[in-house]
Amino acid sequence: MTPQTDRRLQPRRFLLLTLFLAGALLFGLVAGHEWASPARLARAFANSGGHDMTSQLLVVWRLPRVLAAAMVGALLGVGGAIFQGVFRNPLAEPYLLGASGGAAIGATIALLVPLGLPGGPVLAALSFLGAWGATWLVLGAAGLQGRPDTAGLLLAGVAVAAMLGAVRSFLMLALSDDTVNLQVVLSWTLGGVQTPDAGGLAILALLTAGALAVSLPLARGLDLLGLGDDQAFAFGLDPARFERRAVLVGAAVVAAAVAFGGLVAFVGLIAPHIGRWLIGPRHRALLPASALIGAALVAVCDGVARAALPPAEIPLGLVTALIGGPFFLILLMRRLRA
Amino acid sequence: MIAVDCASVSVGRKGTSLLRDISFRLNGAGFVGVLGPNGAGKSTLLRVLAGLRAPDAGEARWNGLATPRWPARKRAAFCGYLPQQFAPAWDYEAGDIIALGAGRASAGDASPGHVLARFGLTALARRRWSMLSGGERARVMLAATLATSPALVLADEPGASLDVRHKLDLLRRLRSASTSSLVVAVMHDLDLALRFCDRILLLEEGALVADCSPDDLLAGDALDRVFGLRLQKVRRHDDHDWVIGLG
Repeated sequence: MTPQTDRRLQPRRFLLLTLFLAGALLFGLVAGHEWASPARLARAFANSGGHDMTSQLLVVWRLPRVLAAAMVGALLGVGGAIFQGVFRNPLAEPYLLGASGGAAIGATIALLVPLGLPGGPVLAALSFLGAWGATWLVLGAAGLQGRPDTAGLLLAGVAVAAMLGAVRSFLMLALSDDTVNLQVVLSWTLGGVQTPDAGGLAILALLTAGALAVSLPLARGLDLLGLGDDQAFAFGLDPARFERRAVLVGAAVVAAAVAFGGLVAFVGLIAPHIGRWLIGPRHRALLPASALIGAALVAVCDGVARAALPPAEIPLGLVTALIGGPFFLILLMRRLRA
Repeated sequence: MIAVDCASVSVGRKGTSLLRDISFRLNGAGFVGVLGPNGAGKSTLLRVLAGLRAPDAGEARWNGLATPRWPARKRAAFCGYLPQQFAPAWDYEAGDIIALGAGRASAGDASPGHVLARFGLTALARRRWSMLSGGERARVMLAATLATSPALVLADEPGASLDVRHKLDLLRRLRSASTSSLVVAVMHDLDLALRFCDRILLLEEGALVADCSPDDLLAGDALDRVFGLRLQKVRRHDDHDWVIGLG
């Protein structure tokens, strides 16, 4: 049963999603290897940081971590919605189609190869180039004329992702010299949000807002692409040109998510799905809805990752894969049977 | 004012030629049928006219300007294209598809609500594509195509997958659009083509073999030759000719 997506109900549904996100953020703050009750949280925030150790931890350490996780999730949700729109396939996902893997190669090179250049911008640029190149590789292999079929698209994505994984492993082996960098790269590949400092959090917030700002103008084109190339053309779109633009934006969004959260699987798949279910397929509403849902999902999964196996922390990517894998399999079975 | 020119258009792919040196000019409103056996190049010709396919030689022009030189939005507002098959990737509502069709022109009178009302589809606005019947889908697509009152309407086998009643309904709607627009439709059904069209373009193996009125086409033997049939005309009480193929 598909819920009604009457447009008059949309503000209410967005309110629902916002409340859901607020709940997820609260869970993220409560969860951890030391659980904090909401009352404890309130006390910690009331005297802004407080003087005791726990308050300090909650405000200085856990809060930015939860916010970063939510924003990485928002980026993944938007990236997933763009990818599904461009590929016209509800099973398209940046992680499955190698875009995240491409970004991770870029990040690996930036971290391990002494380029003698400033770290941050180089990492961002190389992540973006990696995601962009990988996406075009999949596009070229699957063929985007008309509507690529699901099996072909996923196989092309799997092949590209496998190649990129091998290249990344090789780079890690060849370039590592027991420096701390290898550890960072490894945590990247398993997915995980690092607790950012204030500057990092601000950059991430800007990136997230920017991602939404550059994605929303794609909404009409993505809607039209969903009608098929011919009809999109007839309704005033140049499909080839628009696809280039959308892939560029999608790769940039994915690169930002990977730079801050590593390889987090399936969020880009699930968030647009729930969004389409709640809000309908029109992208002007679907893009922000996917952002809200992705943010809530990752905030919760990150909380689970921190709380499940104290005092250790399990990688975020494992949590999302455990939840998202079955989700993906069910969708795939339903689609292949249809 | 509307003029469509096909100037020495050829389309060929690896030795086999789909269209050979086709030239004609269509002037003003009316209903033009494109006829021919399977594989004659009817759909290819329509795609060239729509600007969906670039010819390998020659060019298609609307109002004297080659189709690729029209800016995307102007092109879309000028020409409506009704595809033979249409399957959206997402389960849009009927109103979404009409909004996307209406949104291709900047004109204010093409608001989705107006278009829905104009085509009697208001009750279907919130219905999802997967829940529409074949006839309803055809009406939604037609409304989306005609939303901007395009001067040129191209239809690839309109109603091919519909039952007779819905097919006739669709053709009547196209016919009434042809009072103010130039409608070019690929037609499969000879009877319906002869009944609805003002002018027929007959294709055979990529070549234009006849370009005339239905009456002249019936008077000659081009139809029999192209379809490899012996056709017999039967005059009906309402002055329409029926054509019966005798094999």
